[in-house]
Amino acid sequence: MLLVVTYSQAARTTLRNVCRSHEATVVRRFGRAALFEATELGAFLALRLREKHGSEVQIERTTPLNEYEDVPESVQEAAAAYEKRDKPSTPYAKFAAGTDHPDPERLDASEL
Amino acid sequence: MNAVVAGRTYEGRAIDVDAGVSAAAVARAVRGEDVDGVSVSCPSPTPVHDYVGLIPPVDAFDLRGALATTARALGHEAPQREAIEDLRTQLTEFEVDGIDVAAIRRRVAEAGDDEAHLRERVAALRGRVQALREADGETAADAEAELESAITELSEVETERIAAEQSLSRAEARERAARDRRERRLELADRLANLERGARADLAATVYDEFTAAVATLPGDGDAGGEPGEYDGDAVTAALGVARVAPLRAPVVLAADRFDDAATAADRLDAPVVRLPRP
Repeated sequence: MLLVVTYSQAARTTLRNVCRSHEATVVRRFGRAALFEATELGAFLALRLREKHGSEVQIERTTPLNEYEDVPESVQEAAAAYEKRDKPSTPYAKFAAGTDHPDPERLDASEL
Repeated sequence: MNAVVAGRTYEGRAIDVDAGVSAAAVARAVRGEDVDGVSVSCPSPTPVHDYVGLIPPVDAFDLRGALATTARALGHEAPQREAIEDLRTQLTEFEVDGIDVAAIRRRVAEAGDDEAHLRERVAALRGRVQALREADGETAADAEAELESAITELSEVETERIAAEQSLSRAEARERAARDRRERRLELADRLANLERGARADLAATVYDEFTAAVATLPGDGDAGGEPGEYDGDAVTAALGVARVAPLRAPVVLAADRFDDAATAADRLDAPVVRLPRP
């Protein structure tokens, strides 16, 4: 899908109007951002916004994340284990220390 | 005030015009615009005139805005004024260094296309060289030279594509930082809009009692309620009420059947009036 984020009052207003008049193409709206369908119409609407407001409009292409495909097992397991931790107040760094789970620095340094 | 309409000259604080000219045209002439067949010499209109210079108003009547402007004309100041001015200054001085990422995106796309074409060409040439070699070793020389040069070209284009991609990711990183600034600017702009809304409401409240009294005494059905949002009545009555409260030196152009003549209107509104028949 296409994620469109606006960074000015004018661009936000245009986005609101576009969303109002193209409900079928707008998958979801969040305040000053919206998700458009990944169709040529979605792209057309997004490009119109960029044409009108230049760099006050950010357009990203998004895809759903399949964690079983895109995320290393160690990360999946760490997330699952951390959510099952005994003490909710334990920070992840402490939780991971001395275990096989990756530490936060390593996670941060590894591209997906 | 001195007005010339369709060749006839009028003078005084209250003028009844009966010639075939529209109220909107007279209002434009009051604002100093060049209008065919109409000229009005009068003091310059003040911001309140944007609201009550022409009655009935053409667009929806913004009562809160009209009253806020009136309050300012009467010397009232909003408590938010300093904060508003401060934010306005911050916003004018706020700069965001944008870069034209579009040009770099295009370069990446073009380099990618070039590379794909060349790859196909190299594959085709390889096939041809292979086929020629199998048929007759001698005649492959030309095709081999061609293949060689295509391979060289491909490696150049590949280098260019990689360079373009790197420059795009650098540009995107800079854009990310610029977006943080834009977000901050938007926050300031939103805060300014909120303060301005608050200031309008506060200013309008300072003259609401006068407005309520004016509406009660002027012709027309209007119930002021306790604040601008509660006003219940037509736009003409609201505009007349504001005109009564506001200090006006430029004339109100009136095309509504609320007064017997311009003199009565000028008296009741305490303002100069050009009155035209209702269209």
